[in-house]
Amino acid sequence: MTSATSPTAFPVRAPAVGPERPVAWPRRTVRTLANGMQVVLAEQHTFPKIGVELFFRSGNALVSHKSPDLAELTSRVIRTGTHLHTSRQIEEGLRRMGASLGTMAGADTSAIAISGLSEFAGKLLAMVDDLARNAAFPADEFERERRQRLEELRIERTTPGFLANERFRRVLFGEHPYAVVAPTEAQVEAYQRDSLADFYRENYVPSNALLIAVGDLSSDSMMALVEKTFGAWKAGPAPTLAETELPHPRGRAVHLVHLPGTVQTEILLGNLAITRQSPDWRRSVLANAIYGGAFNSRLVANIREQKGYTYSPRSALHALRHHGYFSVHAAVRNDVVAATLTEMFYELDRLRSLPVSDGELADAINYLSGVFSLGIATQDGLLAQLSTVYLNALPEDYLETFREKIRALQAGDVLEAARRYFDSANAQIVIVGDRAQVEPQAALFGEVRVHDAQGKTM
Amino acid sequence: MSKLQIPVEIETLANGLRVVISPDHSAPIVTVGVYYQIGFRLEPRGRSGFAHLFEHMMFQGSEHAGKMEHIRLINSSGGVLNGTTNYDITNYFEVVPSNALERVLWLEADRMRALKVDDENLRNQRDVVKEEVRVNVLNQPYGGFPWLDLPPVAYRNWPNAHNFYGDFADLDAATLQDVRTFFHTYYAPNNAVLLIVGDVEPKESFELARKYFESIPPHPAVPSADTSEPRQLEERRGEVEEKFGQLPALAIGYNIPQRHERDWYASALLDRVLHGGRAGRIHRTLVLEKQIAIAAEGGMGFPDAFEYNGPTLGTTTIYHKPEYSPEATVAAFDEVIAEVHDKTLDADELEQIKVKCRADYFSMLESGGAGVPRFGLMHALACFTLFDNDPQRVNTVLDNFLSVTPAEIQATARKYLVPANRSIVFRKPIVQAAPVGAHEGVQQ
Repeated sequence: MTSATSPTAFPVRAPAVGPERPVAWPRRTVRTLANGMQVVLAEQHTFPKIGVELFFRSGNALVSHKSPDLAELTSRVIRTGTHLHTSRQIEEGLRRMGASLGTMAGADTSAIAISGLSEFAGKLLAMVDDLARNAAFPADEFERERRQRLEELRIERTTPGFLANERFRRVLFGEHPYAVVAPTEAQVEAYQRDSLADFYRENYVPSNALLIAVGDLSSDSMMALVEKTFGAWKAGPAPTLAETELPHPRGRAVHLVHLPGTVQTEILLGNLAITRQSPDWRRSVLANAIYGGAFNSRLVANIREQKGYTYSPRSALHALRHHGYFSVHAAVRNDVVAATLTEMFYELDRLRSLPVSDGELADAINYLSGVFSLGIATQDGLLAQLSTVYLNALPEDYLETFREKIRALQAGDVLEAARRYFDSANAQIVIVGDRAQVEPQAALFGEVRVHDAQGKTM
Repeated sequence: MSKLQIPVEIETLANGLRVVISPDHSAPIVTVGVYYQIGFRLEPRGRSGFAHLFEHMMFQGSEHAGKMEHIRLINSSGGVLNGTTNYDITNYFEVVPSNALERVLWLEADRMRALKVDDENLRNQRDVVKEEVRVNVLNQPYGGFPWLDLPPVAYRNWPNAHNFYGDFADLDAATLQDVRTFFHTYYAPNNAVLLIVGDVEPKESFELARKYFESIPPHPAVPSADTSEPRQLEERRGEVEEKFGQLPALAIGYNIPQRHERDWYASALLDRVLHGGRAGRIHRTLVLEKQIAIAAEGGMGFPDAFEYNGPTLGTTTIYHKPEYSPEATVAAFDEVIAEVHDKTLDADELEQIKVKCRADYFSMLESGGAGVPRFGLMHALACFTLFDNDPQRVNTVLDNFLSVTPAEIQATARKYLVPANRSIVFRKPIVQAAPVGAHEGVQQ
């Protein structure tokens, strides 16, 4: 027992943090089935649940030249009926297993994600298998999902954050498939049910698949269930993405998306950067944490905590499979657009010019080292970490060695990464706001091109 | 059927601060929270949005950790931090590697004992909060729908009915003296609970809690306010203009029973019959089968419904096609409600719902709303301690949901899901999308 302390005895300094405790990442069972499906399993026994995600390494980018977002619509229609089960049987079957299901597609992958009670592990895997192999694409469900997608797009194109991202990707990636994040309404109208079925047939094949399961079961019993469920699935070739040249714009330019009546302006700027496979990835992550990737970062301290321009400034490195990019974001009041851009560039140039102090470096390293391990405590978090490793073909010891590799970085690494990948002089600046209010401010930073929310040049 | 037994220990310090510890050594991480029993219901009149603005002020510095120091000390310990303001509670939480526990406790104790802020901080955070309101409400399609739209229509008593995010004039009127008064009124150890969940030894952690918190003086009496509502006798309706989106939307909110009444558990199950994903009857009927709606979701928020300690609505939100009128949409909704009035739930549907409840409860405990490990467990422990003085409820509450019978569900539906017990808000787009196609048999 400690004795009662008097008010004056309250320690004036923050207690030191104890020595970093070891993080024991669970052992993985990694195997490739005879049909080419890659399987990664890990045990996590805190709650009686299991999470399974089946990825196919084909996403919207693969088809964006002919039918943008087709992979996404395909994934949505999959759950509306298979040759064995109706939509209602699928949805009630999920509830019967305490399960949640997500079917979705990004630029590089399509995925079927399910999580439910581990006592139903075999049935959950059977559901994934049914959706991956037997989707029927009922015509009426296809039409219903098409209409939903149209209405969703109409709302998205009144959402400043969505419009900023859409324009930004277009500017960074030009004619590359990564340029497109969503279809036009006309493109959705033009979808054919058969194109969804074709995409499914060509891409939902085991040689293109990665299955990750994290659950309250032994790896052996999970592997036995996976082999029993997916072992007989026949192999087939999978398509690959055709690469195109990327634009590398020189000099800053401003891309204004005019959204009348807005009471706030969305700013998104940045440049092409790197993928997770780059040897520079970790040092760039560290530079980003110091710049604007954490609450305790220069950008947040400056434009939020000192100046009050914005609620949620942030910077991020985005890694797609073949390319990556760096972005800086803030939603600010209309009269401080120029002031915010000035501070964003000031902080970029400062990080590119002057080495960070030892204290700031240590703080950022400690931050990254600690938060990297938070995901270990939940099945979802662990599954997300494993999918990063295996979708990006990172080394087997990536999780185990991350902390020591981050700890080895120095001020010179931050400077180097900022100079290479935070390309202040050639940054592309996207602004979403009311033209009349923000164009004069935006024009101070480069030639302004104006588009409307539908992407038409104004 | 898997049973889960969460270890829970509680001690009350001499100053009235309750300390709840739940050890879990599965990962070297600890989730720490301090919950104060004050939310936006009780903020002062003429100061709408103040409870939330005040929450921001709690990150602006305390006696021994100045501005940005709280943030720096947590981030540089390898952790994350945040705070949220709710109807009846305000929380501050950190998730850190467990070797940083003592530092977190020191920081939380420092700001409980001596918040230290000035006018400059207040001006700064007032600006930040205004941008928060713009980015979440004023500059977004369907911003604030329905959580800010329904209360002024549904309620008559100001604590329940006002703008919780705050009118800008009220935010502008807030003074440093208001901040001090609010702090001294509500931020007392005897109005709070400290939660420590994760890789810790309870004995050692209770000692640390005493070391840092026990010297903070209690406040004599924390005022309570009347948050009761006059009994509602007829349906209430209101309209809100939608500036950006083109799809008409509406939200229907029913007054739900008081927490932990038997009806409350039955309501939660009934809620899962109606909502609860694509298998729920409202989504299935309105979106999948009749295809009147583009989206239909909602509920009383099981298993996150523990945080309300006053009048609460169970809400359905519907975005519908412009070719259907709002009245036709409400009529289709009412047909679904009529079904649960008229027919007893069959055993199979109830069994599905109970399995899903069990799974969702586990998921909530594991992570929950804020997307950090054990946030949900911490949150449930906090609410059960502050409102019920019984954190052990986390191990028994599920049984109350799982023992609900079809007859109880039907009786609850008949008693609560009636027009006189509900309010409806219509979000009317200024520019409405042109209807697509023609639909038979529906009045425009």
